[in-house]
Amino acid sequence: MIRFRCLGINSVVPIHESCILDNIIFRNYAFKSDLKIKWNRPEKIPCYKPEKSGDLKGFPKLDKKQVLLEFRDSKELQSADENVKKLFTLEFAPKKYTNRIFYNDIVEKVKRHEYDRTSIEAKIAKWTGVIRAQQEHLDKFPRNLRLKVILKELIEKRKKHLRHLRRWDYKKFEWLIENLDIVYKPEPTESYVISRKDSLRKLTDKYCEGIKEDRLNLYKLKLESEHPAFLAEKISCLKFIRDEQIACGTEVTVTDDEINEVQKQLDDLKKKNEELNKQNENE
Amino acid sequence: MTNMVLPAATKVHMLIGQCVPCIKQGASKFKIKRLELDSNLNMFFPKHEVVYAHDPEKICKTGDYVIIEKLPEKLTRLITHKVKEVLYPLGDVTDPITGKKVVVGSFRDHIENVSKAYGEKKTAFKYEKAPKRGWQENKKDFTHVETYIKYHEDGSNDPTAV
Repeated sequence: MIRFRCLGINSVVPIHESCILDNIIFRNYAFKSDLKIKWNRPEKIPCYKPEKSGDLKGFPKLDKKQVLLEFRDSKELQSADENVKKLFTLEFAPKKYTNRIFYNDIVEKVKRHEYDRTSIEAKIAKWTGVIRAQQEHLDKFPRNLRLKVILKELIEKRKKHLRHLRRWDYKKFEWLIENLDIVYKPEPTESYVISRKDSLRKLTDKYCEGIKEDRLNLYKLKLESEHPAFLAEKISCLKFIRDEQIACGTEVTVTDDEINEVQKQLDDLKKKNEELNKQNENE
Repeated sequence: MTNMVLPAATKVHMLIGQCVPCIKQGASKFKIKRLELDSNLNMFFPKHEVVYAHDPEKICKTGDYVIIEKLPEKLTRLITHKVKEVLYPLGDVTDPITGKKVVVGSFRDHIENVSKAYGEKKTAFKYEKAPKRGWQENKKDFTHVETYIKYHEDGSNDPTAV
């Protein structure tokens, strides 16, 4: 047999029989809850990871045969030898040149006009580019703590500016997060350190709420199934009272309308149940 | 210690409140800020109260400033008011003197004119084409719900867990 004991306002803990002696409940150091709740500590995600920063896309694979950003408009390069041209592609350039092209592409998607570098959308786009490039780099070199700090600060800066943009211009904010593929989540309302005891309390509360809801739903179903019988009985009772009042010659308090209304309710309910049954059969 | 106690916000006929995230259907939650006098310090301090208002069409979004009116009778144990009018929608500021839309310190027209002078890009954001607020709800924008720090790993991908 499992008995429940209330601890505090919201928590209920089932108790082993061994803990109950002559109706006195005691708890000792070996006290164990009998509920089938298992707590798994969530794995810590580093602050720079895309799961935390809200980036849905990572650094894309760029075409390595692209000419470097600085030499795209060079006329000399266009008329140069094939081998020279090859030397000015991303294939033979350090990673920072690939990053530069990526930053340029991402800003290009959202900027207002050709020379726009300072609008809020262009700035956020550029920071997004930097974040995605550095996230990829930090995955390869996780012990680069200096970069980790820089990246964390940059992610937080972007989040702050997104928060401001949301307050200033909601439509632009929504357009921007859609275009840049960023998920924006507000700060949690409650700040706490995850602990076993606290988490178990929350899970127990959730479990109890679930039980309450299930039972309420069952009770609701039971009442609904009894409803037609109840209405039929109500009609017969009302009719009986009315007949008796007429027979005794006293004041008639039950009107025909009242009985008809209940009858209508019953008919409606039957129709509804039939429709539901048909739907279930079809499914 | 305060000597002057404010009457409860729920007893006032009409109120201005800021909408806060709420998962209740057909109702919105409001935070009402009022100033309470501390007679010892002779200073006013803000005091927040929470009120639920009937809002069947959910016209209020998180952060909006709304006028709410007291209902003659309580709808439920919590819902005591109804939404009358959205005063200031969040992120859609109108200058009260000129009636033009404003972003921080400049008019939207001015910003657009500057872009046009430099040669506006086709991919740039345009207010006329932008859909109504709320199209990113539950997709990329989760400001309409309260978030919490994830305390249990159950395999489910709850977007409100941070």
